[in-house]
Amino acid sequence: MIRVDRRKLRRSLVCWLALAPLVVVVLFPFAVMLLTAVKPADEVFVYPARWLPSHFRWANFADMWVATRFGVALQNSLIISISSTVLAIAVSIPAAYALARYHFGGKGFYRQFLLVTQMLSPILLVIGLFRLAAMIHVAGGNMVDKHISVIVAYAAFNIAFAVWMMSSYFATIPPDLEESAWLEGCGRARAIFKVFLPLALPAMVVTAIFTFINGWNEFAVVYTLIRSDANKTLTVQITDLVAGRYTVEWHQVMAATVLATLPVSVLFAWLQRYLVKGLALGAVK
Amino acid sequence: MPRTVFGRPLTPWLLILPSFALALFIICYPLYNIVFQSAHEVSRFGLIKGFCGLDNFRKVFADPIFIASLWRTLWWTLGVVGGTVLVSVPVALTLNQDFYGRGVARVIVMLPWSVSLTMTAIVWRWAFNDEYGMVNVSLQRLGLISSPVHWLATSTTAFPVMILVGILVSVPFTVTIFLGGLSSVPVDIYEAARIDGASAWFQFRKLTLPLLRPFINMAIVLNVIYVFNSFPIIWVMTQGGPSNSTHILVTYLYERGFRLGKPGEAAAVSLVMLAMLLCFTAIYLKIQPREGSQA
Repeated sequence: MIRVDRRKLRRSLVCWLALAPLVVVVLFPFAVMLLTAVKPADEVFVYPARWLPSHFRWANFADMWVATRFGVALQNSLIISISSTVLAIAVSIPAAYALARYHFGGKGFYRQFLLVTQMLSPILLVIGLFRLAAMIHVAGGNMVDKHISVIVAYAAFNIAFAVWMMSSYFATIPPDLEESAWLEGCGRARAIFKVFLPLALPAMVVTAIFTFINGWNEFAVVYTLIRSDANKTLTVQITDLVAGRYTVEWHQVMAATVLATLPVSVLFAWLQRYLVKGLALGAVK
Repeated sequence: MPRTVFGRPLTPWLLILPSFALALFIICYPLYNIVFQSAHEVSRFGLIKGFCGLDNFRKVFADPIFIASLWRTLWWTLGVVGGTVLVSVPVALTLNQDFYGRGVARVIVMLPWSVSLTMTAIVWRWAFNDEYGMVNVSLQRLGLISSPVHWLATSTTAFPVMILVGILVSVPFTVTIFLGGLSSVPVDIYEAARIDGASAWFQFRKLTLPLLRPFINMAIVLNVIYVFNSFPIIWVMTQGGPSNSTHILVTYLYERGFRLGKPGEAAAVSLVMLAMLLCFTAIYLKIQPREGSQA
């Protein structure tokens, strides 16, 4: 039998009241997005507008899928986000391990370097990034409008985050475990693979998912480097439906944002407490 | 310490090398290239026409739109970061209480973080649509305005609206940092204070705020860097318009470089921004009290 705690109930009421304005503002765009996405087109552009649709028109999603070439953009987003995540995590695991386990000259320098990479955001470098992509010639063409250039750029810009997150988690794994495996005649490398990595796996998965979300949500780099419709990702494709247009099919745009956003939001909501923990750990280190 | 038995001195550098090399490659060449382009006359298609010294900088600084954008960037950064910290402290304190539905509340507060800035900006642009947008519809229903407000088409409202959107998307990250800070605050000092009869406001001012100070500092630094560089919100919502009245430096830079075909001048703007960030960091490091090994 649950006994309702009177004081806690009163406190809950106060807390929710205090949060109410923010909650409303946070949920407002989600409501706009979801309700517009299922509105029949003739109800979107009617004055005075109304919040609720007369009926839910799910066909908006099917129309949008064809009209915006959503499938191609989705595929591009997946390719770029997954590949850049794999690359970023692959180079960040050893670095995070080194930061968590070794004391060495230059550790401070490397940390500062990571901080600087965070400061030099992609948008500041975008002019130079574009020239870099235009300069590298492989197999008769340059790297502009190629997925690989976006993938490498994303991976590089995510290293700081990935190393920071993973090293803070790695540091919480007691080194004694490896040391004892090591004393039992297990090689260094073997100890890492047999003892350390299995324990570090959750941290790596969580970091990978957030790196994936970063890639999925990024705009400036892909907007600059990718030129052709066939190679555009969702963020760029959907922006193109809106930017510099006189007539915008808002119900389709909202349907597209729902599909591009909701899966990632759910993933994020599910995992956000790990992010909270990881960043906090990294912060006090 | 036993840590030193963990291998030869070269090993950590080998472990760091791949990430170091990749980051260096993607950052150093573009940086070099920007410096190079900023000192050259560059055609729309990136052809270098010749050395021109500081001409690009001179042109940029002679442009009234640039000067206006420079000031607006300061207001933008100050407004968004200041607003974010002011909103985030009470929100973090509330979320740190033990109350029914706290898990749900945390998820809701974190939600804007999960959505790309681009998508957020697109949705808000639609919400602020003159005739059909839900902001005007709701405000009219509530009787707060009598006729639709042209939020994004008016320069005096467009910029504040975008600052509010900027605050909204920065709150989750900032609350996250503060919650991390609050979780490290020992509970017993509050109990001691309560026994001594300290008021809630006194506890906040004398206990919570000083303990939260390093986290507030960190949140300010990181947010200043992110917000200063924030591109999608303004680019998607107004593209710097109406009539260049909402440009900040990043949108000005992008328009110069990729819309108006002046990569040399855009590179110069990049360097100006970089110098501003370095100044900020240097000032921060100077005024920040040394605190042991804090990163």
